[in-house]
Formats: sequence, C-alpha cells, structure tokens
Amino acid sequence: MHKIADVEIQHDIMVANRKLARQNQRIMDQKEVFSVDVLGAIGSGKTSLIEKLIDHMDQKIGVIAGDVISKYDAGRFESHNVPVVGLNTGKECHLDAHLVEHALHDLPLEEIDLLFIENVGNLICPVDFDLGSHLRMVVISVSEGDDTVEKHPLIFQDADLVVINKVDIADAVGASVEKMVDDVKQLNPDVQVILSSLKLGKGLDEIITAIESYIGKK
Amino acid sequence: MHELSMAQAIVDTVLDAAKKNDAQEILEVTVEVGKLTMLNPEQLKFLMDIITEDTLLENAELIIEEIAVEIKCSSCDFKGKASTEGSDHYLTIVKCPECGERNVEITKGRECNVKNIRIEKVDEDA
Repeated sequence: MHKIADVEIQHDIMVANRKLARQNQRIMDQKEVFSVDVLGAIGSGKTSLIEKLIDHMDQKIGVIAGDVISKYDAGRFESHNVPVVGLNTGKECHLDAHLVEHALHDLPLEEIDLLFIENVGNLICPVDFDLGSHLRMVVISVSEGDDTVEKHPLIFQDADLVVINKVDIADAVGASVEKMVDDVKQLNPDVQVILSSLKLGKGLDEIITAIESYIGKK
Repeated sequence: MHELSMAQAIVDTVLDAAKKNDAQEILEVTVEVGKLTMLNPEQLKFLMDIITEDTLLENAELIIEEIAVEIKCSSCDFKGKASTEGSDHYLTIVKCPECGERNVEITKGRECNVKNIRIEKVDEDA
C-alpha cells in the first residue's frame, strides 16, 4: 500500500548565499581588506573606473574580475601590476558568494588593503546575490538611456554609491543627467551620486574621496 | 535571468528531501518566492519542467507562493508590510506605508524558499 505524506522542507536557497557572503566578509575583515562590489551595466565603465582607481589611489589594491569570460578584463588589470583573479561565470549572469569565496583563497590577501570585485555587467541579477563586500558601488552611463535607473530600481535602492559615467556625451545621446540623478534620489535619498567622465578624468577624485570615507568609517 | 541555476537548486533540495523520506513519487512542491527576488515565476516553472524529466519530480505540480515585502522603517520604526508601488514584479519600489520613507530595511521578500513537498511512499503500517 502507498500513502501520501507532506514533508516540511523550509530550505531557503537565498540564505545559503547570504551565509557564504557573511563568511566572505569575515575572511576579509580578518585580513583587514576593505572590499567594493562594482556593479553596473555592460559598457558603463566599470573596468575603466577600476583601472583608474588602481592608478590613482594610495592603497594596495587587488581585483576579482568577474565576467562571462573574465580573461579580457583580468588581462587589463594585470597590466597595472596588481593581484588579479578572474572568475568565469560562463552561462551565469552574476557573481555569487561561493565564486567569490574561491577567489579569496587565490588572492594574497595579506598584501591587499582594498579589493575591487567587478561583477558581471548586469543591473538585474546581481541584486539577489550579496557577495560579502563592504560597499556596493553601481556604475551606469548616460549612453544606456536616461530611463535606466527607473527601469532597474532595486539595484539603486541597495547601492551605497552611484556613479553616472560618460556625462560629457549626454547631449549627444539625448540623455538628461538631471533626470538620472533625480531617479536615483527618489529610490535612495541618502546615497551619494557622482557624475563622471572617466575619459576626461572628471569625477575621479570625488569617487576616490567617497571610497576612502567609507574605508575610514569601517 | 538566473532562473536555471535557482531551478536546479530547488530540484536538488527537493530530490534530497524525497530520498531521505523514501518517496516513490513527488506529487507537489511548494516554493515561496519573495516579491523582491529577480525571479520570474513563469520562467522558473518552465525550467523546472525541463530539468525534472526522468526524475521523481517529473509529474509533480509546482506551486509558487509569492511572499509580500516586509520592512523595518529607518525613519519611524514601523515594522510590517511595506507599501509597494508598481504592480510589476520587477519594478517594485519599497516604501514605508506610515511615513513614506524609502530608506527602509527589508526584512521579508527576498526568499526563494522550498517550503514543503507532498510525496507518495510505501505505507509500512498497512
């Protein structure tokens, strides 16, 4: 004879990632590493920004380069003579805490003060996956369209710092920078929004000051 | 967009529980999905259908229950169900229903919880 039985499971798949994220943060805290998750759309300037921060910040920097195929960005960072681990996500659209945990084991954390974790170019999926970083910085650019913030509210609601890049070409692409700033402030009133043109060097000092102030607050 | 890996994690969790409980067939799976996750329930169902072929889950019914957003307001200390503007699953803007503040701590709504399963097993008492 057969019978029907109800089995309680109560296993939250998201919790597993959050636990690993907390563990990642503990590992970094023990080694006195401050980490920044750099999120943003494809082509917004995440890699360029990290390259400029490596060159201009007075910190011992390391990078986790996450991408569908990470070797291109990892190669760019390596040319700046910093420790880099590339994380290939393959078909996946985001980094998760488990992948980052592996990368942390492969980095010389004793030699790093500041770790940038470049996420996969995507404004949607990374929202669900905390990595254990101390700061979430979202980088967008005017060429994505000035409605990009209102179309992706959650990533901005979660952000600690927002960079709007390529403001020098806003007129050419018909984007209103003011609208983008207003949209971010609607979602996250206290977040600092920095306007930049990495090509012209605009906004870089402000971004450095903002990151350093977070390091100071930790 | 990451529904496939989540679907696989759900399937692994369910099959593990089914094995531990000597299930011969899984009839029903209930999964709670928070309104703030970036998971599309329809895509999740579609992918579950595909990856459960030839498993104990092949004929199971997948029930997805949406979990409402709950918050703790940083401004007025309100705790409970948030006001969520925008009925679209992905365009939710979370606010305090008392004071309208958007600076809130989200306490519920980000789950992907495999809640329970209904299984068929041999009745050893029969």
